[in-house]
Amino acid sequence: MQTLAELSLLALLAYTLVGVAFGIAFVLRGVSVIDPAASTAGLGFKLTILPGCAALWPLLLVKWLRPKRSLRAGP
Amino acid sequence: MSVGYAAIQWSKPKRRYDLIVGLAIIAYIGTFMLVSKMLWTGASAISDEVLILRALGSCGFILLHIILCIGPLARFDPRWLPVLFNRRHLGVMTFFIALAHGVIAIGYYHGFGTINPLVSLLTSNTEFASVQAFPYQLLGVVALIVLFLLAATSHDFWNKNLSAATWKRLHMSVYGAYVLLVAHVALGALQNDRGLLGPIATVLGVCTVGVLHLLAAWRERNRDLSSPTSSVAGEEWIDVGTPAEIPDDRARTVCAPGGERIAIFKHNGRISAVTNVCAHQGGPLGEGAIIDGCITCPWHGWQYKPQDGCAPPPFQEKVATYRVRISAGRVQVNARALPPGTPTDPVSARSEAANV
Ligand code: HEM
Ligand code: FES
Repeated sequence: MQTLAELSLLALLAYTLVGVAFGIAFVLRGVSVIDPAASTAGLGFKLTILPGCAALWPLLLVKWLRPKRSLRAGP
Repeated sequence: MSVGYAAIQWSKPKRRYDLIVGLAIIAYIGTFMLVSKMLWTGASAISDEVLILRALGSCGFILLHIILCIGPLARFDPRWLPVLFNRRHLGVMTFFIALAHGVIAIGYYHGFGTINPLVSLLTSNTEFASVQAFPYQLLGVVALIVLFLLAATSHDFWNKNLSAATWKRLHMSVYGAYVLLVAHVALGALQNDRGLLGPIATVLGVCTVGVLHLLAAWRERNRDLSSPTSSVAGEEWIDVGTPAEIPDDRARTVCAPGGERIAIFKHNGRISAVTNVCAHQGGPLGEGAIIDGCITCPWHGWQYKPQDGCAPPPFQEKVATYRVRISAGRVQVNARALPPGTPTDPVSARSEAANV
C-alpha cells in the first residue's frame, strides 16, 4: 500500500514538473499559435493561465503541434 | 468579450464586489474563531490550528453553496444578476480558501510523523468498507482537485480553446465536487463528534440547493409548454403575448417547436427577438436585461444589439435573430432563426395595438 502511494505521488510529481516546464514554454510561445487573440496579452494573463497549462499540458501539446488549417481554405 | 486577453476582467463594480466578498470572508473567519474560543473554554478548548482549519473549511463550503444557489435564484429574481456576473471570481476564491484548509489539515494531521505527509494522507486510513471510519479526508482531496481544475480553467481563454461544450461539461463537475464535500463533511462530523450545529447546517444547505434547482427546472418546463403556435403557408409564428406583457428593457422567452428558446425583448417601445443562447457559454440571454441599449447576458455580461444580434464594436460576436410581427394586438415571433447578425426590423409595441 505504501509503495503504491509513493509511486503514485512520484508519478504525479513527474507529471506536474513536466507540466510546469511545458507551461512556461507554452505561455511564452505556443499560446499565440493556438489562439492569436493571446499574442498581445500581458504577463498577468500568462501567469493566470499557467496553472491550467501545467495541469492540462498533454491536451495543449497536441493542439500546439497539430498543423493549423490554412485561413484561406473555404468553409 | 474577446479583443485580446487581460489577466482578470475587473471592472469597477467587480472590484467593489470582490472587495466586499474578501472582507466578508475575513469577518466570517474572525467571528468563527472568536465565538468558538468563547464557547469552548478550559478543558474543552480547541487548539488554534483546528479552529482555523474548521473556519476555512466551513467558509469554503458556504461559498460553494452560494455559488450553486445563485443560478436558480437569479431565475426567480433579477436582483441576483450582479452576483451571477461574478460567480467565477467567487469560484476562484473558494478554491483558495479550500486549498488553505487542505494544506493546514495535511500539515496538522499528517505533518508530525516520520513518513511524508502526502503518503500518510493516502495510507493512514484505508477503511474504505466502513462508514464509521471511512477515510473522509480523501473525499476532500478529490474535491479539492476538481475545484483546482475549475479555478485554473476559469479564464475565458479556456472557454474558447477547450470549446464551449467541453468547458461547460468540465465546469458541471462542480456538482460532483459538491457531493464529495457533503460526504467529506458528514463523515468527518461522524468521526470527530463536534456537536450538532455543523450537521444541521449541512442538511439545511443540501436541502436549499436541491429545492432551488428543482423549482428552477420546474419553472423552465412550464414556460416551455405554454407557447401556442400558428402555422400559415409553411411559416410558423409563435405567440408571445401582448406587447404590454413584455417588461421594458427585459424579455419574455418562448420555445420554438424544435426546442430552441427565443428571447423577445422590448426596448424604447420596440420589440425584437434573438436566440436565448449567448455566444459565449450559452447563457440565457432572455434572463438578462437591456443595458446601454444592448441585450446584456446575465452570466458574464456579453452584449448584443437587439436589432441585429451583433455585439457593439469593437467586439465581433453575433447571435441569431428572429423576425417579429404584431398580429391582432399580439406579438408573434417567427420560429425560423435568421443567420447570426442578420438585421431585423423591430416592431413598434404601439403601432398595431392601436388598430385593434
Ligand atoms: C486536501 C483536501 C482536504 C483535507 C485533507 C481535509 C481535511 C479535513 C479534516 C481533517 C477535517 C476535520 C477537521 C476537524 O474537525 O478536526 C475537515 C473538515 C471539513 N472540511 Fe475538509 N479537507 C480537505 C478538503 C476540503 C474542501 C475542498 C472543502 C470544501 C470547501 C472542505 C470542507 C470541510 C468542512 C466544511 C469541514 C467541517 C468543518 C467543521 O466541522 O466545522 N474540506 N477537513
Ligand atoms: S456572457 Fe458568458 S454566457 Fe453569456
